[in-house]
Amino acid sequence: MSASFLQAASVDEALAALDAGARPIAGGTDLVVGARQGKAPLPAALVAIDRLDDELGSISDNPDGSLTIGSLVNHLRLMSEPLVVERATALADGAALIGSPATRNVGTIGGNVMNASPAMDTGAALAVLGATVHLRSASGPDRILELDELWTGPGTTTARPDELCVGLSLPARPPRSGSAYLRLEYRRAMEIAVVGAAASISLSADNLVETVSIALTAVAPTILAVEGTAALAGRAVDTNLLDQVAALASEQARPIADLRASERYRRHTVGVMARRALEAAAERAQGIKLGVPVNRNKGIGVSL
Amino acid sequence: MSLTDSTPAAAQRFVRADGPEKVTGSGRYAADLELPGMLHAAFRYADMAPARLAGIDTSKAAAMPGVLAVMTAADVPDLRYSPGIADRKLFATDMVRFEGEILAAVAATTPAIAAAAAAAIEVSYESLPAVTDIETALDPAAPLVHPEWADYQVDEGIVREGNLACFSSIERGDAEAAMHEAHTVVTSRYVADGCHAVPIEPRAVAAQWEGNKVTIWSSTQVPFDARAGVCETLQMPTNRVRIIVPHLGGGFGGKCGFHYEAHVAALARAARRPVKLVFSRAEEFLAPDRRREGMVFELTSALDADGRLQARTGTVLIDCGAYVADAAFFPQLAAMHAVGPYQVPNIKIDASLIYTNHQPSGSVRAPTAPQACWAVESHTDELAAAAGLDPVEFRRLNAVDSRTVGPTGQTYEEIGLQECIDAATNAVSYGDELAEDEAIGVAIGWWPTFVSPAGAFLKMDEDGSVQILTGAQECGTGAVMTLRQLAADELGIDPERIEMIYQDTAAAPFGPGATGSQTLVNNGRAVIAGAKQIADQLRELAADQLEAAADDIVLIDGIAHVAGSPTAAVAIDDLAATAAGGELLLGHGSDPFPEPPEAVGTTCVGDQGLTAWVGPQFSCHAVRIRLDRDTGVVRVLDVGAAHDSGTIINPAGALGQVHGAVMMGIGQALTEGTVYDEHGHQRNADLLEYKLQTIADVPHIHTSFIEPPTNNAGPRGAKGLAEAPNVATAAAISNGLAKLIGTPVRMLPMTAERVWDTIGSAHDQVAAATEGHGK
Repeated sequence: MSASFLQAASVDEALAALDAGARPIAGGTDLVVGARQGKAPLPAALVAIDRLDDELGSISDNPDGSLTIGSLVNHLRLMSEPLVVERATALADGAALIGSPATRNVGTIGGNVMNASPAMDTGAALAVLGATVHLRSASGPDRILELDELWTGPGTTTARPDELCVGLSLPARPPRSGSAYLRLEYRRAMEIAVVGAAASISLSADNLVETVSIALTAVAPTILAVEGTAALAGRAVDTNLLDQVAALASEQARPIADLRASERYRRHTVGVMARRALEAAAERAQGIKLGVPVNRNKGIGVSL
Repeated sequence: MSLTDSTPAAAQRFVRADGPEKVTGSGRYAADLELPGMLHAAFRYADMAPARLAGIDTSKAAAMPGVLAVMTAADVPDLRYSPGIADRKLFATDMVRFEGEILAAVAATTPAIAAAAAAAIEVSYESLPAVTDIETALDPAAPLVHPEWADYQVDEGIVREGNLACFSSIERGDAEAAMHEAHTVVTSRYVADGCHAVPIEPRAVAAQWEGNKVTIWSSTQVPFDARAGVCETLQMPTNRVRIIVPHLGGGFGGKCGFHYEAHVAALARAARRPVKLVFSRAEEFLAPDRRREGMVFELTSALDADGRLQARTGTVLIDCGAYVADAAFFPQLAAMHAVGPYQVPNIKIDASLIYTNHQPSGSVRAPTAPQACWAVESHTDELAAAAGLDPVEFRRLNAVDSRTVGPTGQTYEEIGLQECIDAATNAVSYGDELAEDEAIGVAIGWWPTFVSPAGAFLKMDEDGSVQILTGAQECGTGAVMTLRQLAADELGIDPERIEMIYQDTAAAPFGPGATGSQTLVNNGRAVIAGAKQIADQLRELAADQLEAAADDIVLIDGIAHVAGSPTAAVAIDDLAATAAGGELLLGHGSDPFPEPPEAVGTTCVGDQGLTAWVGPQFSCHAVRIRLDRDTGVVRVLDVGAAHDSGTIINPAGALGQVHGAVMMGIGQALTEGTVYDEHGHQRNADLLEYKLQTIADVPHIHTSFIEPPTNNAGPRGAKGLAEAPNVATAAAISNGLAKLIGTPVRMLPMTAERVWDTIGSAHDQVAAATEGHGK
């Protein structure tokens, strides 16, 4: 049990509590579950931000084509909101795979990002979509961080204890672009990523690669951006390209071996996920509708 | 399903009396109990295992504020218990053999203080080498899990030595000779990991003394076994121990047997306060002696030129874990499953239950059968391939049928196995073209019907409503709820007029409990016998009033009338009112149970009486799967499940059993398996890493019940049902996978990574063979 618990009525009130040493809680799907499992006790002081929907709960379509997503937006909304499904499809794919319907109803994007698990299902999607994170504090100016500036290791970030994640921004995507996130799953719910991969791609009018970005889940201490994808510009999305991307992913992965999989199996399957994610992203870039989550279309956990 | 309009009331409707409470949340489970002054219990488990106990000091724990009792072996009678082989004590004395071994117990005013006090107990150990591999545990050089094994009290006829906890064989004909004369001989090896029952409710036990009597509320499947355990270990007469089971949150065999009732009762006596123990999920995984056993199979079978089975030899090794629990009957049961429901004239199977330093194995839903069926049926598909026969044709040719002789010499009356094969394969359109990376695997299985004594009391009171007092235990199957339908049909009244008093050893006569799919077969027999007595009384009363012969009175729809004269009638309620002024309407039943049939020509070492079965059940599962070749992930799409479990009395309950068992089978097949470290400690004792199937994984399940007339079984020809549908699913999935890969996955569970490794090895072999041809 925490010694003190404040239900914040405004972001300012929440920031003041953080400044005084409290930790924020929204859905509690990491914090409370972790405490029950004995990973870490609940913090001594908690400030609940879950009723700050007015300030933190919206998804905005900005004039420059970027999306702003409040940190309180939950996974159910991410997977079903048309703006996200159309423009940040990989994020919807990832959100749709998190836990169970109950987890998705209370778990938030802000919590998922700030928990900084390398196995998080929204992380690789946010990385390939170029997301930035908005941090706010009582004492200083807002900070906007790239994800690779935020995440430093499993459960660790560069955010200060007095900073609150208020939202994320996803930059405008070029026309003829698409994204997808795939995860290896042994069962179709209550699963944690063994490996996963997200891809985003934009195509020229004749379907050649203009930009491509790949990020990997659960194969390094943080979400891992695959390097060397710039060299793929101008190529067709064919078997050769997909093989090459799978190989890049497998080579750059630094997986561990544990109960869920061996190092060898993770290294192989993260390549499979990267290949399928890119294939799906490219199909979406060409206007082909693939449902969310795309896991149900690409061989893993197929629908009946 | 062959149900007709003339099916009795029991089959037409099914109202679960316990349903509304469970669904609305008003039902109470053992962990919900709050008694005045109640304390909370915590156990101290072995910090290392195996180890020799060098010393235990409870003084610091006992001195902690809020601690009212601390117990060790010194505080309870010094004796060993367990059915068949008495190898267990309530608290460890000289040695700890597995990580869930209990050294001490604490009762304190809060759960947190109890846990802190348990941790404050000081224990010193001398580490011992662990025995974790059943294939080397019988080597003369292997350390003994029980160095004093020879001193234990055991039942007559049990064959054992050292780490061999219990051995049994079955032999008929001359298998060796038949092998020499055979056209085709195939040898296979399969290895199954252990797994768990995983009931949703972790167990809880509370105890309260009044004078020299104790009432124990326990989440047990077998209240009378629990009572027997308390009486044995605390040396009390049965009439001073009362076990009550509040609603039980699932069991799947995991809550069979006697577990912690005596520990909690002893704590409550010492503390002079009621005490409650509530397990965490981790404890539920690690401590109980009811884990599904790991097994190793070596099977060799011989065929004649037509593909007919001529002989089978086999060696079955079973991981007993640190204590025998109820597993002494496993070897012969496993040996029966290593043969399976086939007409094979020559067999020799040796089965060994082997001590290790793992958690003890015990009855989990159809013990030994899912693993053995998986091995044998995978082997059978290898045989079919060797004979050049379709796997279904091979089974039609070799499986037992009505009026044939089974592998141990039992001659079957009417059985429905061949019809099960037809129904299951038709349900998934076996033989039709399939999508890429899809296949249908087929497996057949069998399972006994267990019979035992059981009793029931019934009374009809002055308003015509009825109470059944039964020793039956509801574990989620709904079988207990079916008992009132059986009584209603005898009495001619609405089942809703019947209430049940159950799950209380002080209220009802003995019943075997929710174990071995026995409720309908045994408690049902008792309830019908008791209801018949009241029905006879009603007929006498009606005969007096209607001036007819009692034999001519028909009881139906709440009315007693003269046969053929519906207007010569009196309401049963009025008869009940009449009886209340004179001779009361009381019934009690405990009919003898069916005699086991003969196993002609079979000889056994360490016979456990399981070579011929009353009411044998048969099944066929046909499963359509899809394989993701790049990852090894398997998705089960369609399951055809066909069962001969005799007459189906409660179709809704029966379907529920098949659906649940199929899901359990899919989990065993693909995702559920215990992973150990080198000390024999579990590495995935939690619901994150031990992967149950979820509701999102449920395939289409098409169930058929084949209902041949069955004489030698339970009421109206019912056999059991709760376990039989758990037998063949994993085997069918294995056979589908082998079709897709070209070779079986020889380890259970067939995890995605194991499947992927098998695909890789198969590719390597093909590549090597191709290269060899090239040269």
